Amino acid sequence: MQVDTSSLLNSLNLDYRAILPETIAAVTGVVCMLTDALFSKNARKACSTVAIIGLVLTLLSLFWLWPSASATNAYGGMVVNDQLRLSFSFITVLASLVAVLLAIQFVRDEGLPQGEFFTLILFATAGGLLLCAANDLVTIFLGLEIASITTYVLAGYRRGDARAAESSLKYFLLGAFSTAFLLYGMALVYGATGKTNLTAIQQVIASDTLAFEGARGVLLVGAAMLLVGFGFKIASAPFHLWTPDVYEGAPTLVTGFMATGPKAAVFAAFLRVFTIGFTAPGAALGDGLHHTWFTTLAVIAVLTMTIGNVIAIAQKNIKRLLAYSSIAHAGYALLGFLTGEFASVAFYMLTYTLMTLGAFAVIQMFARPGDEKTEINDLAGIGFESPGLSFSLAIFLLSMAGVPPMAGFIGKFFLFKSAWDASNQSGSGILKWLVVAAVLNSIVSVYYYLYPIVVMFFRPLAPGYRKPQVGFAVTAVLLLTLLGTFYLGLLPNRVLNAFNMPVKTVQQAQAALK
Amino acid sequence: MNWITITTFLPLLGAVALLLHGMFWSGKREQERLDNEYRWLTLLITLVTFVASIPILLNFNSAQAGPQMVTKLSWITSLGVSYHTGVDGLSIWLVLLTTFLMPISILASWHVHKRVREYMIFLLILETGMLGVFVSLDMFLFYLFFEITLIPMYFLIGVWGGERRIYAAVKFFIYTVVGSLLMLVAIIAVYYINGGTTFDIVEITNNFSANRNTLMSVPVQRMLWFAFALAFLIKVPLWPLHTWLPDAHVEAPTAGSIILAGVLLKMGTYGLMRFNLPLFPEISREAAPIVMTLAVIGIIYGALVAMVQPDMKKLVAYSSVSHLGFVVLGIFSFTELGLQGALYQMLAHGISTGALFYCVGIVYERRHTRLIDDYGGLATPMPQYSTIFIIVSLASLGLPLLNGFIGEFLILIGTFTSDVPYAKLFTVLAGVGVILSAVYLLWMLQRVLFGETTNEENAELEDLDRRELFGLVPLVILAVVMGVQPMRFLNETKATISAIKQQVEIKGAAKVERAAK
Repeated sequence: MQVDTSSLLNSLNLDYRAILPETIAAVTGVVCMLTDALFSKNARKACSTVAIIGLVLTLLSLFWLWPSASATNAYGGMVVNDQLRLSFSFITVLASLVAVLLAIQFVRDEGLPQGEFFTLILFATAGGLLLCAANDLVTIFLGLEIASITTYVLAGYRRGDARAAESSLKYFLLGAFSTAFLLYGMALVYGATGKTNLTAIQQVIASDTLAFEGARGVLLVGAAMLLVGFGFKIASAPFHLWTPDVYEGAPTLVTGFMATGPKAAVFAAFLRVFTIGFTAPGAALGDGLHHTWFTTLAVIAVLTMTIGNVIAIAQKNIKRLLAYSSIAHAGYALLGFLTGEFASVAFYMLTYTLMTLGAFAVIQMFARPGDEKTEINDLAGIGFESPGLSFSLAIFLLSMAGVPPMAGFIGKFFLFKSAWDASNQSGSGILKWLVVAAVLNSIVSVYYYLYPIVVMFFRPLAPGYRKPQVGFAVTAVLLLTLLGTFYLGLLPNRVLNAFNMPVKTVQQAQAALK
Repeated sequence: MNWITITTFLPLLGAVALLLHGMFWSGKREQERLDNEYRWLTLLITLVTFVASIPILLNFNSAQAGPQMVTKLSWITSLGVSYHTGVDGLSIWLVLLTTFLMPISILASWHVHKRVREYMIFLLILETGMLGVFVSLDMFLFYLFFEITLIPMYFLIGVWGGERRIYAAVKFFIYTVVGSLLMLVAIIAVYYINGGTTFDIVEITNNFSANRNTLMSVPVQRMLWFAFALAFLIKVPLWPLHTWLPDAHVEAPTAGSIILAGVLLKMGTYGLMRFNLPLFPEISREAAPIVMTLAVIGIIYGALVAMVQPDMKKLVAYSSVSHLGFVVLGIFSFTELGLQGALYQMLAHGISTGALFYCVGIVYERRHTRLIDDYGGLATPMPQYSTIFIIVSLASLGLPLLNGFIGEFLILIGTFTSDVPYAKLFTVLAGVGVILSAVYLLWMLQRVLFGETTNEENAELEDLDRRELFGLVPLVILAVVMGVQPMRFLNETKATISAIKQQVEIKGAAKVERAAK
């Protein structure tokens, strides 16, 4: 059989522009590694500069791709460039950028190896970006592994510290476990449909042309395993148990990074697999499958937010408190997930990312090198001693609690609104009850978000407090996250429109690229 | 840019100025000098804000019922949220009350020595929040400002408060947040019921008054009414939702108390008149006997509890519960006199209770105790103070020719002529409250100002200094002016109030007709 190379290549659509952000991130990672070797004296400065330039370029490439966003496939449908990809990629890169800025002071203060940290973050970014763009089970797995493995290493970066080692090992074991679930699920889905491409899977489900008799059960089991695997990765209940330990043990800045960038990327893949791959309305099989995962996820969403919020009340450690709060936020985001509308989830993840990174940046400063002081009571009375840091933390916490005019409020507002809209459209009442549950949960959450503020500002100062040295990069991070929190809270129009742009036709997209 | 927007955001700009001042221009001056700069700067900002609010009054057309001097700019387009502000008869005086009380509470905070800059910044943010609540004509904007007032007050109580400040601050926050989240749900529901395109209060009110019963069923209306009412009644606070108030008042610094009693509580009664009555008149009528019962219980309960308080500040706090009960009573009488009286009482209470808290703060500053038993015979060493204290107390208890009388009188007449069931009974019981308020206030005056000087420390107390006079005299003048010239104030509110009254009236009648069929 003669293969026509050019037509094969055409059908594959090898469009390098489509994977430009991933390429830049990965190449910068490699350059960073080389820089570390070449500039052994000034490795920290050189590597961080390279990393920052690389990430800014990645961000620019995303903006460049934005006008051409459409459902175009590249690489035989393995990579797709649409709003979902772009908005979540934006969040991922933003989180990495903040992590790099924070790391400059972190690696210096702790005397840790300097170059690798930035390299690892860049590779994690590349993996995360691939996850956002992936439209194929294989690409998803690839991205997920790149992102996960680098994050395991980052969690244990403070090698001498037993807590970090525990955190890293726990994260690795459970992460590997969940990856196994994912992989098995992918295999079963492939077995049932004969496809790995999500669009193709959707078509198979829509036309009810499964690979063999009785494949329906296999497909369901595969979908369930995917759900479990993704559930682990985004720390949704009942698969959340690893989160508090890992978040507490990892270096604070890594915790902030894990809780935002890679998590947002996994959310993107999770969204794509379920709302595109497993959503084929109209067909009996598609409806059945959709109904099953919809109901399961609805239960998981309520469980996640409730467990996160309720257990957070009892926390004495600020990192654990934020770990549980991030579980709760994943629950809210799942509520948006169920609407099938990407924009509100992406917007919520963006607000969450800004608040969480900002909060962790402050905590890193207060916790001192080695994360010695992470108990909430360690914060007693420091409110007016370090007003910049404390008020920032207070603003982030209030924003997470959903107090206007900060971003957290608008994020929740859009999420709940889109859930309500979707409920009106589909006529299913479940979503409305979920909104009610989420609102009640937000009320509960106010209590524990207030607690650190009470301790910081209303309690007397513990003796022996020294002001933390806040470097330039950390100041920049705080300014960025604070301004972002208020910007999204007061003027969300621009970002919302960007996340929500109507999908263009292929021709329009190509024209825009030229 | 019109005067309303300028007035609203001037304090916020001032807060930014203070922040920058502390960050960049503090130089190497001593803390004491810097603190003084902050105080003067804040006083200046609040005075300028007050001056900026005067053109609003001058340009106000009292014949017009609807909102005036309106600014409408689109804001969050995908939601239909706009920056929509303006004033009408309901809000005009409350805006001026806010800008008027602010400089006075800055004067009352002159003795604060802890973290002066942050203190002033919080006060200024609070002012923007309060003004925003009164001028918002968009529900989303309203909610935003309503919540913004929460945070500075929380810090003011929690950082600059008394001994049990943490308890009081958290209680204040949680109570209010629960109420306001319910209100948020109601606002969103109203938004959807109205078609999901706008949060504009004027549009929604008009649409609701035309098609309310085709848009939603009566049970839905009841739920929404309840959600709004709960948020506002917690804020008022109506018995039995009042328990946060005495704690917050007692622990708050003097300025916090003045603002809390003077303005923040009015956000609740204002909300009732802005949302509950026009949006759900039928449900309001339905609920009136219950609300009025609670209001009357609050009047009498507040007065009785005030009577036995050993702590002056707590006494004034409970008197607020009692007086705000009158306001609620007037609102739910649905008569023009009652509503006018309620609005008037809101202003009068803001002036006289603000002054009372100021007076309590002045002796607390000198003696560091608020217990009535620790005082006695203050009239001899502090004649000016005693005179002012007596006048504002008499104003608060409703002596004719002073401001409290007009409000209570109008409310009582309004309630008496109201067609709400048992209204006459409520009037009689509320009348008992008037008597009781005379009892507790006069008894307090007697024990604090007159009699023998039992404690030697009291004999040495200094009388008011110039700063305190500057703070108190305007309040006294206003209390008298409002007492002898009420029509000046009532004229501006008349058109809006009668519009609200008509809305409640007509719809109520329609309901009676339906019931007859």
